[in-house]
Amino acid sequence: MSERVLVRLANPELDRLLAAAFARYPRRESGLLVRFGWRQTPSDLVLTLANIEAPGDGDLDLSRPNVAFTEQYLVRTALLAECDSLAVGVVHSHPEGHVPRPSHIDDDMDSYLSNYFEGFVPARPYVSLIASRVDGRTLMSARVKVGGRWLDTSRFLTVESSIANWRYAIVGKPTQPTERVARLRGAFGHEAVQRLRDSTVAVVGAGGTGSAVIEVLARAGVGKIVVIDPDRLEQSNLERVHGSRPEQVTSNDFKVNVAREHVLTIDPTIEVITCIGRIPQAEVVDLLVSADIAIGCTDSQHSRLALSDIAIRYLLPAIDCGVLLEGDAGQVTGQIIQLVRFLPSDPCALCRNMADPVRVTQELMSDRERRNRQIAAEAAARVGADGGQYWSQEPQLNTVGYLTTTAGGLAAGQAIGWLTGRHAPRLSRLQMNLSEPFFDVTEPTDEPRPSCACLRNRGWADQGGADALISPATHWPKALVIGTSLP
Amino acid sequence: MSVERVEREIARLQEGGQNADLVFAVRWYVIYRRVPTAGAQLSLPSEADVIVPVPEGYPAAVIDLAGLSVNSPLLPRLKGGQNSQGQVSVNGVEWQLASYHPHNGGGGPPWDPAKHGFDTYLDQVIAWLGQLA
Repeated sequence: MSERVLVRLANPELDRLLAAAFARYPRRESGLLVRFGWRQTPSDLVLTLANIEAPGDGDLDLSRPNVAFTEQYLVRTALLAECDSLAVGVVHSHPEGHVPRPSHIDDDMDSYLSNYFEGFVPARPYVSLIASRVDGRTLMSARVKVGGRWLDTSRFLTVESSIANWRYAIVGKPTQPTERVARLRGAFGHEAVQRLRDSTVAVVGAGGTGSAVIEVLARAGVGKIVVIDPDRLEQSNLERVHGSRPEQVTSNDFKVNVAREHVLTIDPTIEVITCIGRIPQAEVVDLLVSADIAIGCTDSQHSRLALSDIAIRYLLPAIDCGVLLEGDAGQVTGQIIQLVRFLPSDPCALCRNMADPVRVTQELMSDRERRNRQIAAEAAARVGADGGQYWSQEPQLNTVGYLTTTAGGLAAGQAIGWLTGRHAPRLSRLQMNLSEPFFDVTEPTDEPRPSCACLRNRGWADQGGADALISPATHWPKALVIGTSLP
Repeated sequence: MSVERVEREIARLQEGGQNADLVFAVRWYVIYRRVPTAGAQLSLPSEADVIVPVPEGYPAAVIDLAGLSVNSPLLPRLKGGQNSQGQVSVNGVEWQLASYHPHNGGGGPPWDPAKHGFDTYLDQVIAWLGQLA
């Protein structure tokens, strides 16, 4: 059992939570019951806000200045909890100006309620969260009872909202001013530099685009970079992969090792975790759910699908970027870049038509199955039958280094804005063609399909596994994680 | 493979009176039990167990193929039955997979994991067994 607890919160549930918690502000407390999904990783217990069980008439005793939940509210929520596998959370506010430090009364309440809910749904985490506003800032504390032990929350991870852990907000962390980021500090401010230093960014795919993302993030001073890629460096990658050298091809290095070496050359104080694996393998998901944000840089549709699924279920803000070079008759006719934002409240990749099921199926097949399918397709073609039922030829996506570097730089810039709070990605799905006047920038409107699981799976974490959009292929080699978290 | 999802779909089938099992033998399979066929009029079995592989990455990947016991007299008369897509040994039974691709240009709707699953694939299996040459 890990000691670190991460609490991930995202809109629209977070806004609803805060509105209910501060319903009697500034002088009186209020509260509500919520539900959390969770995942236990080797390093963290990650809790994700899934549902708000908003209080109705008679659910709170409003005659008291502090929060008091009535039996009808408690039993209703407990019975709901019996119907699924989410954890129960209790949220209450402290009056304005008072830090969310648990009081003796809070201790008594948590002791009683944790035992109460354990009677209905044993062996699930019980989450107690306190919110308050101090000097205009929203502060939170949270503690979790799991396996009979109480753990304090190490970190809050939010999307589109600034929530500070009250311990962190008051005590602060030692800053690490360095001249190397002086320009960035001048433009974004000292706090932004510190936030980057305290951030973890996961990069899925360490090829041309991913290596450009990693390069920019490392130079900007991101404190921890997680790099995920299953492949080894090839000769043809040298044109695009930042930091790659011919001898690394000769020595058959994995791309993640190339990335690690390059980052440490830029700044040896950055923590680099590498994973030779594929999204959504369990080891990869463990790494992603502890990151502040993720950036997808692969050219496979199943990876995009998996990233969007994880973004929604684990409240992980993500950006997916892709590039495509088109040509005709010896001329380059299209230099296309696409950046897609995956917020937990955004439609999934399926709703956005970013994944063709047939192509995804082929991507996920084992080598043997692919060969058999291709042989069957060839045999069908020989007798004039449709071979497409067996195998559809996958298009070779051409790309070049300047295009992947441009896309990666743009994605990294969006990530830096997100992490520092200086600018949020306004894009939902940005497409541009560098071959067209004004780059032909377009932004398609994507809406979730009413039947899609992405509408009901937000924040459900592992408990929403039955509605996951994709599962890891069983023939993939087990993912290998290199590097451990710093204490 | 999302065991939870397939088990949920099998539970739905069972609610409707259709038994099915999720089994593992090198890879995952769903075996539909005693599915009705059009065989009675041809003095052939009127029901059959049908095996369907769970595709890698399910539910992102398309459910495809269907198979019967290798010595089933239905097999040569079914669509794709003479175009073997491989034999598998599961639960002590040798099965032969037929070239049946309902969600991949074979007559069924395009695959949509939000709508389709092993519960809805039963319709495709019944349609398959209902058309004997």
